[in-house]
Amino acid sequence: MSSTLRKVGIDIQESEDNRALIDAIRADNPDLTIRHLPGLVKLQAAGQIVINRQTVEEKLGREWDTGEFQLAIVSYAGNFSEWDDDRILVKWEH
Amino acid sequence: MQYELRYRVIEAKRNTYQNIIDRLGDQPASRYLEGTLDVQPRENFHYRPTWAPGRELYDPRFTALRLTDSYSFTDPRQYYYTPYVTQRSALHDEFGKTLAYLQDRELLARLPETWHTMLTSVVVPLRHYESAAQLVSVAGARFADGTSIEQCCTFAAFDRIGNAQMLSRMGIELDSGHGGVLDAAKQNWLDAEHLQPLRRLAEEIMVTSDWAEGLLAVDLVDSLIYPLLYQGLDEAALLGGAGAYSLLAQHFTAWFTDQRKWIDALTRTWAEDPANGEDNRTTLARIAQTWQPRARGASAALASAIDSHEPGVHATEVLADIAGPGWAQPAGGAA
Repeated sequence: MSSTLRKVGIDIQESEDNRALIDAIRADNPDLTIRHLPGLVKLQAAGQIVINRQTVEEKLGREWDTGEFQLAIVSYAGNFSEWDDDRILVKWEH
Repeated sequence: MQYELRYRVIEAKRNTYQNIIDRLGDQPASRYLEGTLDVQPRENFHYRPTWAPGRELYDPRFTALRLTDSYSFTDPRQYYYTPYVTQRSALHDEFGKTLAYLQDRELLARLPETWHTMLTSVVVPLRHYESAAQLVSVAGARFADGTSIEQCCTFAAFDRIGNAQMLSRMGIELDSGHGGVLDAAKQNWLDAEHLQPLRRLAEEIMVTSDWAEGLLAVDLVDSLIYPLLYQGLDEAALLGGAGAYSLLAQHFTAWFTDQRKWIDALTRTWAEDPANGEDNRTTLARIAQTWQPRARGASAALASAIDSHEPGVHATEVLADIAGPGWAQPAGGAA
């Protein structure tokens, strides 16, 4: 059994609003790798990616509902192990 | 025959404008930052202000409150033209809808007599206060150093016109579509005893030469008047058969919540400035000391006028519970 964590990933459509979202994810996940593709930003991290509503709101300058995350994502790898009003957590659970 | 579809990424030569690159490096930035950072000219002015020798056209010395870097403050709401206009048009649309609802059911005309008198003599005349606050905000828009602060002041100034307009529309509706209440409001603003402390205060703030001091003095008044009139009366209005007022008041409260965001952020930036923080805190304390008692006095006059019309409101007690803005709280409360 290797101890390396499997990578989780989120692909986000590139847009003005989503840039703030990506900034927030980057702030909360120090080990994030970001790849830019045309129109798409691929975020990857080992183990988990967390999205905090508070951070996103700070970056975005307005109230943000975690449900709006649906509008931003194109694809993802991992499980949404938590999705409530304040936090979204993507990780592998098995 | 088979085609192979491939894409080629063409790297942009630069991701953003030079004003952003100078500060944040070459990375995509938000529209807000692109239209804000270092936009105000700093050098090569053709003309100097003849009315203020020894000052530049844009000069941090127009106020005692200094920032090491003007752009250490950014608007937490990130307003530039488009989001500002979108937000405010939504606010006024909502207000319009509320007003239309009240109009259809003639709810304002059917207010209890005491509430009607109270609104016409205390609340509607405040459109003139809004006008004073507008001028003070315009002064900030002209004299503030740095686009990030200046632009908040500009938007605040337009907001004040909007607020005055909301009050006017309320007044017109209180008079079933006529301007009588507005004329009376003007007379009240000029003559009525309960409005004179506020009017005097507003006029003195208008001639304060330090734009930031004026802005903060207005904020001290706002922080008492808005919670008192638009939140504090809510409960009593709902219980006293004046639910129509509560429906309108919510929009003023919504605006004030929005206004607080940037004022609080700005005062925090001033107080925490690495080089000038100490001086700024002293200045902030002095401003609070100078204007806070007068703001209290002026709002107390309003509160007792409300109580004389509608004793059930207990406005004086409501006012006593309102603390005022965070930055004006003594010792530690400002930070």
